Amino acid sequence: MASVNRHSTGVGFCTPGAQAEIAERPRAASGKTSDTRRITLTVNGQQHALQVAPNAVLLDVLRDELNLFGTKKGCDHGQCGACTVHVNGRSVNSCLMLACMQEGAEIVTIEGLAESAGFEQGHHPVQEAFLEHDAYQCGYCTAGQMMTASAIISDDSIDGDEASLREAMSGNICRCGAYKNILEAVQQARGKMRGGQ
Amino acid sequence: MRTFELESVEAIDQAVRHRSVHDGQAFIAGGTTLLDLVKLDVMQPEKVVDVTRLPLKRIELLDDGRLKVGALVSNTELARHDIVMRDYPVLSEALLSGASTGLRNMATTGGNVMQRTRCPYFRDPDMPCNKREPGSGCSAIDGINRNHAVLGTSDQCIATHPSDMCVGMVAAGATLVLEGPEGQREVAFEDYHLLPGNTPEREHDLKPGELITHVILDAPRGGGQHYLKLRDRASYEFALASCAAIVTLDGDSVSDVRLALGGVATRPWRATAAEEVLKGQPATQENFERAAEAAFTDAVAYSHNGYKITLGKQAIARALRDATAAARV
Amino acid sequence: MTTDTGKTREHNLSAEKPRIDGTLKLTGGADYAADRNLPNQTWGYPVTSTITSGKLVSLELDEALAMPGVLDIFHHDNFDRLSRSPNSFAEENLTSEPRLPFEDNEIHYQGQYIALVVADTLNHARAAARKVRANYERSDDFLTDIRTLDRGEGDLPGEEQSGDASSLGDADSALESASVRLDQRYTIAQENHSVMEMHASVAQWENDMLTIYESSQGVVFQRNALAKIFGIPPEKVTVISHFIGSGFGSKLFMWPHAIMTAVAARRLGRPVKTVLSRQQEYLATGYRPTSLQRVRLGADDSGRLLSIHHDGCNESSPAGKHDDTVSGATPKMYDCGNVAVTNRLVTVNKCPPCPMRAPGESSGNFALETALDELAVQLDMDPLELRKKNFADKDPASGLPWSSNHLRECWDNAASRFGWDKRNATPGAMKDGDEIIGYGMATQSWEAMRQHCSARFGFRADGSLLVACGTQDIGTGTYTIVAQTASKLTGIPIEMIDVRLGDSSLPSGPLSGGSFATSTVLPAVSAAFDEAVSQLKTLATAEGGAFENADTDAIEFQDGRLVHGGQSVDVTQLLKDNQLGLVDAVGSAQPGDEQSQYSFRSFGAVFVEIRWDPGISRLRVARVVSTIDIGRAINPMTARNQVEGGIVMGMGMGLFEQAEFDHSGYPYNNNLADYILPVNADMPEVDVELLDYPDYHHNAFGARGVGEIGLTGVAAAISNAVYNATGKRIRDMPISIEKMLAS
Repeated sequence: MASVNRHSTGVGFCTPGAQAEIAERPRAASGKTSDTRRITLTVNGQQHALQVAPNAVLLDVLRDELNLFGTKKGCDHGQCGACTVHVNGRSVNSCLMLACMQEGAEIVTIEGLAESAGFEQGHHPVQEAFLEHDAYQCGYCTAGQMMTASAIISDDSIDGDEASLREAMSGNICRCGAYKNILEAVQQARGKMRGGQ
Repeated sequence: MRTFELESVEAIDQAVRHRSVHDGQAFIAGGTTLLDLVKLDVMQPEKVVDVTRLPLKRIELLDDGRLKVGALVSNTELARHDIVMRDYPVLSEALLSGASTGLRNMATTGGNVMQRTRCPYFRDPDMPCNKREPGSGCSAIDGINRNHAVLGTSDQCIATHPSDMCVGMVAAGATLVLEGPEGQREVAFEDYHLLPGNTPEREHDLKPGELITHVILDAPRGGGQHYLKLRDRASYEFALASCAAIVTLDGDSVSDVRLALGGVATRPWRATAAEEVLKGQPATQENFERAAEAAFTDAVAYSHNGYKITLGKQAIARALRDATAAARV
Repeated sequence: MTTDTGKTREHNLSAEKPRIDGTLKLTGGADYAADRNLPNQTWGYPVTSTITSGKLVSLELDEALAMPGVLDIFHHDNFDRLSRSPNSFAEENLTSEPRLPFEDNEIHYQGQYIALVVADTLNHARAAARKVRANYERSDDFLTDIRTLDRGEGDLPGEEQSGDASSLGDADSALESASVRLDQRYTIAQENHSVMEMHASVAQWENDMLTIYESSQGVVFQRNALAKIFGIPPEKVTVISHFIGSGFGSKLFMWPHAIMTAVAARRLGRPVKTVLSRQQEYLATGYRPTSLQRVRLGADDSGRLLSIHHDGCNESSPAGKHDDTVSGATPKMYDCGNVAVTNRLVTVNKCPPCPMRAPGESSGNFALETALDELAVQLDMDPLELRKKNFADKDPASGLPWSSNHLRECWDNAASRFGWDKRNATPGAMKDGDEIIGYGMATQSWEAMRQHCSARFGFRADGSLLVACGTQDIGTGTYTIVAQTASKLTGIPIEMIDVRLGDSSLPSGPLSGGSFATSTVLPAVSAAFDEAVSQLKTLATAEGGAFENADTDAIEFQDGRLVHGGQSVDVTQLLKDNQLGLVDAVGSAQPGDEQSQYSFRSFGAVFVEIRWDPGISRLRVARVVSTIDIGRAINPMTARNQVEGGIVMGMGMGLFEQAEFDHSGYPYNNNLADYILPVNADMPEVDVELLDYPDYHHNAFGARGVGEIGLTGVAAAISNAVYNATGKRIRDMPISIEKMLAS
């Protein structure tokens, strides 16, 4: 039970009185709401029916609509890799994708990484390797690192030598500078998943 | 982030019935440029047309030996395609030197052609920029211009074209296939992007309503090929100077050469003067350096980017050396 | 309070353990500030100044207020009147920018907040913020780069800070009479912390109680500051920061976005969440200030240092003073009796600078360690030998003995692993294909500090432990070493230990900064353990207890049991017998007399191999070897990670990082694409060794801390290696391509 403080999201502190007052508060002038549309997203094997604006970004929808906070925002412009998820098996930057364009796609986030790869009990080998090699510090870029790592490990076009793996991981910035351990973790997980290749 | 309408199209004729960016509509494929710039409020489309369902995802070898690449082929797929790796290694290398694993998985061939400059003043709607807002002035010329162009500039704009892929395509030779309300037309790849001149807001030869549907690569030129990208850090950075080189040898002489430059010019830059210097000459380091000099004869340096003239020449000389070595294998 | 530095209480704890919070971080379960959405929450998005200096004349808000989803816009004319911002380290309420948000109409820098838009969604707030029109009275009288002020000779610009000046002996005369002299100037460009997690606040009021989720390196400091500003008792403010996406100093002391957010939440009666954009982050949350330095050295022909002058100058801000004291550590570095250091400040039109990893010392170290390399060249001497010749066997500044100092072993150990003996001192003599190889080295150093601290230690009836402290884990591994400590003290497995940090309502803990969290927190955990055991003993000796009426001093705690003579009782049984779920106590610890008896400082040595390809102007770091003496590493795995990360940040300082502002004050590269940080492909071969000499004078765990030291020395070692490869002496960091081509 090694644990640290963990909270369940959505535990509120608002008093009912306060909410009532807000409900009656007049909306700002014009107050027109933007059009939304109904979409179905398949995330970590589950289908979610959502009502979102056309400009809703996948990263924001994952976090704020689906409460999948493991995917992080580090720049919002494709400059850091913290928001990396899998779409149809490929690693992508979810901060530069529209949610509405992902209907029918298979989306996997860090919360579903292990299960999506068939590790229904426990962790994905990448997660195990990151733990064993201390391949993180603050942990903020870590989900993105692991999503890229797990995708490139199963990509036959990316060689397993150090330079190729480092290059393939370079779209995931780690300001803590845990790159040495990240590489070691990727190598270990790769070895495990590809059976010593 | 501003709101916009979003419409998905299933067929090309359906897509090109829409008007393009010129009247407030934009196509979206990978989204890596568009959403980036919409979040910054630099691009302000009222309507975004999702073209990702169009049947433009194939890579097809034509009977005449050319390779027809659908506009929706991702940068990763194109770079890793067997024929591209075998016959167009300079393009594969250029693609793989760009951006990151995740962005290359998203970015498309057509989208990459339409990539916008990384000039920080262009990317900030609060700053004067002739490209974004004609007549407002160029902030870079008197500002910081370390990342800016030394070739093809004008007193209106010195913004660098950011693409690596396009540099590889200029070297390899290619044709763009455009589909528009008036029908289909083809444009030579190296004529597609425009010099800024007095109209830096006009970046390319795409007419309202037109859509890039394919890039057709010229039949393979053979020879030795190499793409060399120079930048501050080792990866995940736009080029400060890059060179795509294709060298064909006849004995120890250069029988044919194609050179294109990135990071130093306002558009993907064919270095024809350098090619001319080298054609028919012995493939020596001295001649590579002479060619490199010729490429920058007309270069204009601004306050912070003079180093790019040296760096660009170095990129050419080294790329030529390594392409020549590859040609000898 | 416990002052536990006596040898009798030494703890022998050092073990490589995976992080106890690892599973949460690796599954997406760790909750960072912005991972909090509260019921009925709204979103704040700041509007920032687009001019560098002047006045805000008016705001045009009608269009923005009419945008979809907008609830309100807060600005100078409608903002709450708040109490003056406190600004005291001693009172633990220091803020980074004491100027309150929207306090007046002055614009001090680009990126300064001029309004906060609050809307129902992030997209709505961001879109509306774009529609706020600001009318300014622009001033052309501003400065964003102090390098333009330096005349290149004589005194540095700026106002001398009397508190920073110190001297030993007579440095002027000693320099005059030295046979070998050096006088050089050095600069380091502004660096941004570039934390991966942008600063974020989620604020909520319940009646008159404020709860704020913040990415903070100091929940107690922020709690105290907010209480002062809102004029309410500290007990009515709770700051929560369970996980922090790194801080490096930028999250030590509160910034104005938190105040804006809290005011908006109070006014709207709804929770407000403000997450800065990356661009805003770069302009409004501090930075390592640009520094100018002048170093003068005098030595005799054998290389003995006779005189050191080190003058520094760094940027400060009209919105908040920050003194980086870049020359502060110099008097302690080498055995030299004639030392004079000063520091000056110049006010620039940027947000206040703030500490950034190894603040001051890493900048000063770069200048001093580069100057020493230059002196070695003048002397035709091996730079390592020069340093060894001037080893200080006590602290030259205070005259106190070092508590523990193994710098000589660091030098030898790292030199040997690196292969320093293979170095050819002639520039450009070592080659490999297209590349020229250069070797360089520098001494590393960081002061060892300790603060007061309290912690709670609890035994639960289910056999688990609760350990809580109002400090936070910024990624250094504090959760884990606290658990390791509790496990060591009790014999209870680490899996049974519940560590709570990052909540200002917990017993008061230190900032996570300055490399003092470990040395500060663990003694408090130990003290709290003692207090909790006392409670257990009281229970056991009470009427009807297992050891009724026994002398508590005769009872020992061993592996989860209380032992008295031949008898023992399991703690869980004791709790059950007394129908208790938890027995806990708060304990405190603080530094004591040892502070006046010893000088506490960590040292290390870093050796760097660079590769310079002159044909394509490509400079890369190929290899880094570092040996560091930090006393005891409680968890060598996480400690080594800190040093490796420091090396990466040092590479950034040496090769890439510089925040740039143009002639109009425009921030040219306030984003992660244009501000260049090292990426994975830049990684050299890195080999770090931590010596293991517990410093029990410093605290009972022997740990001096490890967060900063790995960064120090790296930029100098790179610069010195570049000289060895090329004969180019680059004294201005970073060593960019154009500098290599120009010199």
